[in-house]
Amino acid sequence: MTIEQQRQGLAFSGSGHPTDQESLRFRRVSSRMSTQIYHEPNSSTSLAQEEEQSGSEPTLELRNTVFPMALKKAARQVQQMQVPAQFNGGSWKQKRIKFVRQFKSNVREFLYFFSLWGKTLQKIGGRNLVYASKQPQRLRPRWQTLLSLTGNFGGGVQSYFIFLRFLVILNFVSFLLIAGFVLIPSIVFRSVGIKPESSKADVSSECLKYDPNPQGLVVFYEFFLDLLSGTGFMEYSYLFYGYYNNSVIVTSLVGSHFSYNIPLAYLLTAVFYFAFCLICIIVRMGKAARVAVTTGGSDVRSYSMIVFTGWDYGCLGSKATKLKQRNIYYRLQVDLEEERLKKHAASLTLCNKVTLHSLRVLMFFVAVGLIVATFLAIARATTFSQENSHVPGILGLFYTYLPSIVITLGNFLVPLLCDQIALLEKYPPSATVVVALLRAVVLRLVSLGILLFTLWKQIMCHDSRDKCNLCHYNHEDYQCWETSVGQEMYKLTLFDLLVSIALLVLVEFPRRMVVDHWSCKLTQWVGRQEFVVPSNVLGLVYGQTVVWTGALFCPLLPLINTVKFVILFYCKKITLFYNCRPALRTFRSTSSAIFFLAVLLFGWILALVVMIYSVAVIHPSFACGPFRSFFRMWKIVPESFSTLPEGARDFLFFIGSQAFSIPLFAISCVFMCYFIALASIYGKSVAMLRAQLKLAGQDKQFLVKQIEKMKPLSPQHNEGEQD
Amino acid sequence: MRQILHGRYRELAPHLVPLDYTNNPDIKVPMALIVTMPELKENPFRDRIVETFSEDGQGNMSFNDFVDMFSALCETSPRELKTIYAFKIYDFNRDNFICKEDLQKTLNKLTKGELTPEEVRLVCDKAIEEADLDADNKLSFADFENMISKAPDFLSNFHVRI
Repeated sequence: MTIEQQRQGLAFSGSGHPTDQESLRFRRVSSRMSTQIYHEPNSSTSLAQEEEQSGSEPTLELRNTVFPMALKKAARQVQQMQVPAQFNGGSWKQKRIKFVRQFKSNVREFLYFFSLWGKTLQKIGGRNLVYASKQPQRLRPRWQTLLSLTGNFGGGVQSYFIFLRFLVILNFVSFLLIAGFVLIPSIVFRSVGIKPESSKADVSSECLKYDPNPQGLVVFYEFFLDLLSGTGFMEYSYLFYGYYNNSVIVTSLVGSHFSYNIPLAYLLTAVFYFAFCLICIIVRMGKAARVAVTTGGSDVRSYSMIVFTGWDYGCLGSKATKLKQRNIYYRLQVDLEEERLKKHAASLTLCNKVTLHSLRVLMFFVAVGLIVATFLAIARATTFSQENSHVPGILGLFYTYLPSIVITLGNFLVPLLCDQIALLEKYPPSATVVVALLRAVVLRLVSLGILLFTLWKQIMCHDSRDKCNLCHYNHEDYQCWETSVGQEMYKLTLFDLLVSIALLVLVEFPRRMVVDHWSCKLTQWVGRQEFVVPSNVLGLVYGQTVVWTGALFCPLLPLINTVKFVILFYCKKITLFYNCRPALRTFRSTSSAIFFLAVLLFGWILALVVMIYSVAVIHPSFACGPFRSFFRMWKIVPESFSTLPEGARDFLFFIGSQAFSIPLFAISCVFMCYFIALASIYGKSVAMLRAQLKLAGQDKQFLVKQIEKMKPLSPQHNEGEQD
Repeated sequence: MRQILHGRYRELAPHLVPLDYTNNPDIKVPMALIVTMPELKENPFRDRIVETFSEDGQGNMSFNDFVDMFSALCETSPRELKTIYAFKIYDFNRDNFICKEDLQKTLNKLTKGELTPEEVRLVCDKAIEEADLDADNKLSFADFENMISKAPDFLSNFHVRI
């Protein structure tokens, strides 16, 4: 009996006979359609497809079938006997396909080995504990404790660490970009001995005064204070804008023509850095959106998903299973709670509705009031800090860090208060989460904006006009205002890192020790810490926005941020494994990935606004930096433009002209309409396929009913024939 | 791998299972012993898993059934196979449909009776409403497969490590 006959003989026959155990086993569901529609990168499935297309009967399709082991073995033996009789090209093709598959899996393993922190991320997500499965039997209990310790922190926590890894790589590549085009040429030119050109502009010598180096005797602890606040020896260094020169090197040796324009390089590198980050974010957003669309709005199918796919079959140990069970129970409860609230809201009387809505409006104003109060505090702290920046010693350090302290305090306290407000507002749980997130995002990013706005007000002296008359900016307080802004951003970054480490050491470890070793009601109620994903991710977004804002004024900030995020990764990993209990409430990772990237994009836009403003509106410092002789930073581009050869200039003029841009606009509109039409067609075809599936199911049922109707007739028919 | 599985199979019932399997003896280990395995012990669906993979449907597994079970539940097993077996496991009354009673039993096993009967009924109604495409108030294999294809963590959850 060949394989073909075997398979045909055992094909799926409708609903089957419930009492016949044999047919229950020897059933091959016609999942051919699902094999083709399904796009999982599963090597054996794709191999089966390839072999089907090549015509030779698939050896591996046997794996997909539901035959018992003995039958599969018999089938394989029969196939092996048939192999020599097959065409030689067939077996060569099989060998080639096998080789390609092996090669692909080897390459995948090799690349996976190089992926940054891959093993840690898998451990956190709870899949595939490779090291554990190799342990021999007698060490089994230790393995189980390890599993119950690491537990399964779930997709939400894993998505935080994936986001962090993405930011580390982004910052590192940006640093390489800046180093290659700005830092290294500057170092080379400075070491060769090229002096900066003084400003050609017609200004008084007052504006050209800049003495960042410390005067007189320097006390030893000043070193640490300077390290922390970016002043003193750190101010006049490659760290900040003020150190870079406006050197324009044009050499015309015999044969070679080397020219390098540092100011132009500085500006264009900053612009490309922003563009590169934007592209990375959008590409990542596209990937996340694709995942979200294929899983088709996971919120819609929450009940059936939880019931059928909620349980982790690899869960071991009674502690882990209890935890998993409570997790599933909690998820179901959240959904049930939403249903209950919906029913309750529908059943409210008009009077109740009015009171609820007015309460919500009132609480909204309270929340807005809290946030505005934070903003005012930040503005006041910034002005105070800038006024008292020359106080020496530890007090001076405290004053310089005052804005960072106020921002951090605000970001910590206000969400707590908003949580209490949310209890009164009684929104359904999903809406509560969204509202809390939005409030936190607004608080973090706009507080940074307020800080920058206050700085800008001081630099452009909105309060006292007389200081800015001489040099178009406040040269008395800020001899080099770009460096001051860079210093603020540097301080914010450093303070963020210090606070994270301090929290880890002073709050999280002691909390866990207290909870573990001292059991009273208070500690039971407080409990071990949970890893709260949203606030941690917002912290990352805030840090990255600070870096983007400061990159123009502090070129080494991406490098500092890379180091900071690497330290943060290990700190958070340690705190996750030692101090946190696996969360009861798992965070839905697919839709939240897009939300966090959207918030990152919002931070990027804020940084872009700051950059555009600095480049196009504020006058650069006369005394320092690569743009000291320009009216605006942007002016370097038109000037360099005029040195371009004729052909290039004409080409660029043509691109900017209307003759080019209007047809370009029209063509991009056409493409956009095409993609919109394509997307709507796909949506319609999905709906149509779904309806077809329904009809096919109904057809099947109808046919089965017809068969069952005709069955009592057939024995009589057979008897009639025999007669 | 087969050796490892043979070792595990043997330690379940050393008096029943011979060391030497070259003659393919017809030995079946009863269900009560198989569910004591640490990988299955805490699983709420252990009875159904063993019944599904056993040839006689009562849970007495021969060694081939045993290997079958772990190869279907392993990491490299294809998605279609896992979906087929998941459907069989959740189909308690083996009528090739997951009806409301099957779902209620699944849910009770999952939450170990912590939900009230009304909540159980509500969740089952909602689940069937979400997944049932051909509007017959029970889930056929096509409905189940369609719902599973949208689940991002089905493959990683439906996996027993040995």
